[in-house]
Amino acid sequence: MDGFLFPHFPAPKSLAQFALFRKVENAAQLRKRIIGAAALAGAKGEEERDAVNFAFIDAKLITSRLHLQTAIHQAILAFTQDSLRTKYVHSEILFYLNPTNNITEALRRYGISDTSTDMIVVRVGDASLPPSNAQELMKDVVIGTIVPFSELEQVTDWGAVKKYHKLNSEAAVRDLKGEEERIAIDRIVTSTVAMKSVMQ
Amino acid sequence: MATSIGSSSGPPSHLSPSLVLLQSPTCKPISQGAEARVFKTYLSPPLPTAAAGFNAASPPQVSPILLKHRFKKAYRHEILDTALTKARVAGEARALLKCLRSGVNVPSILMVDAQEGMLGLEWIDGHSVRQLLPGGEEEEDDDPVTADSGEDPLTPYCIDADTITQLIGAQLAKLHKADIVHGDLTTSNMMVRRGRAGTEVVLIDFGLSFTSTLVEDKAVDLYVLERAFASTHPDSEPMFAKVLESYGKGLGQKEWGVVNKRLDEVRLRGRKRSMVG
Repeated sequence: MDGFLFPHFPAPKSLAQFALFRKVENAAQLRKRIIGAAALAGAKGEEERDAVNFAFIDAKLITSRLHLQTAIHQAILAFTQDSLRTKYVHSEILFYLNPTNNITEALRRYGISDTSTDMIVVRVGDASLPPSNAQELMKDVVIGTIVPFSELEQVTDWGAVKKYHKLNSEAAVRDLKGEEERIAIDRIVTSTVAMKSVMQ
Repeated sequence: MATSIGSSSGPPSHLSPSLVLLQSPTCKPISQGAEARVFKTYLSPPLPTAAAGFNAASPPQVSPILLKHRFKKAYRHEILDTALTKARVAGEARALLKCLRSGVNVPSILMVDAQEGMLGLEWIDGHSVRQLLPGGEEEEDDDPVTADSGEDPLTPYCIDADTITQLIGAQLAKLHKADIVHGDLTTSNMMVRRGRAGTEVVLIDFGLSFTSTLVEDKAVDLYVLERAFASTHPDSEPMFAKVLESYGKGLGQKEWGVVNKRLDEVRLRGRKRSMVG
C-alpha cells in the first residue's frame, strides 16, 4: 500500500491511496462489475458502487510515480473547483491521463481491459482513514498480488505510451535510446497531464 | 484504532487549495516581479509511513517544486484580470510543453491551476548563467556561488565559460527550430545544472514567449540576449560570438545565414521595427 498526501486539499480529498496489482485474474469480471454498478438503482446500487469506488488504471501506460501523482493531483484539484469533466474524481484521473479530450477514449485506453493483468488501483479519500482499510477493500474486488510500486518499471509499455502521446517523430525522443529516452518520455507525459486543463 | 495521519480539520475551506499551498510552512519565497511571485515548496510531503501501515520498503524521494503565482492585480477589473491571468498561465504551459516535445531543456510541468494563476514546475537545482559568468555576481544574492574565496564558480560544474556559451547556443537553436521565441532571453533566465548526461543549460521563464516562424522575431530574440550580455557581463563580445557560433551550427547554414543577416539589421535599428507607438 502506498499513498500521496496533499495537505492543501480539503480533508475528505487529501489522501490518495494506491497499490500496484500484478497477476490480476479477474479483470474481465471486474470491468463488467464496474459497468453494471453504474446501472444499478436503489440502495443495492449504492452499495455496489461503493464496493468498486476506485480508479482502476491500466499500469502499462503509467511511466512513473510522479506521472501518477500528477494525474491524481490535477483530478482532485478539478474536483475542489467544481470543474470535473467526468462524473467522479476517480474517472477524472483517467481523463487527465489521456492526452485528448475524448472521455470514452480515456476510459478505454487508461482504464482496465478484459486482458489486463497489471493494474494500479487508487482511492481518493480522507486523510484520517486508516490505510489498512482501503487495502482490504481493494483486495475484496481485485484478485491479484500487491507488489511494491517500484515494480512498475517492469510493467510500463513504452511503445504504447509513445504511440498514444504521438511521440515517435518528436525531436525530443527521436535520437535517444534506452534510459535517456524513457526519462525524456516520462517528462513529456507528466507535463502533458499537468497542463491538460489548459490544453488548446 | 489505527493512527490518523492527517489533521481532521484540514485547511480552511474558503481558500482555494493553490493558495493554501502558499501558506504551508515549507513554502519559501524565491523572488518577486511585477507579474508573479516565485516560491519553492513541496506538493506532497512524505507519508508518516510505518505509523499508518503504509509500505515503507522504498520511501520515494520527495523533490521540491517551483511555484509561479500570478497574483491578483487590484488595478485591473476583476473579470479582465482573471481572463488575462488564465491566458498567460496557459500560454506559458503550452510553450513549455512544446519545448519539451522539441527536445529543448526546460523544466517539466507538475501542476497548473489557471483559475488561481498558479504554475508548478520542476525545481532546477543549479545556478543561473548570470551568476556563473564573470561580472554577473552582484545581484541580491542569498546564495553566492563563490563565498568570497576567489574560487571559480564553475568548478562544481566541471566546465568553462566557453562550454556554457556553446550549450546556450545549442539550446537556442533547438528553440528557434521549433519556432518558439522566448521573448526575454537574459543570462538570468538560463540555469546551469548537473544533469544525468553531464552539465546542461536549462532555459526558464517562458512568460513572454510566443510561437513565430518569422526571421525577424528570432533575430530580435538574439538581439535582446546580446544586449543582456553586454549590460551584465564585461567584455562580453567574444562570449556572445561563441553563443552565435554554436547557434548557427545547430540551426544549419542556410537558416543561420538569413537570421544572421537580419540580426545585423536589428543591431542598426533596435528591436522595434517600426517607430510608431
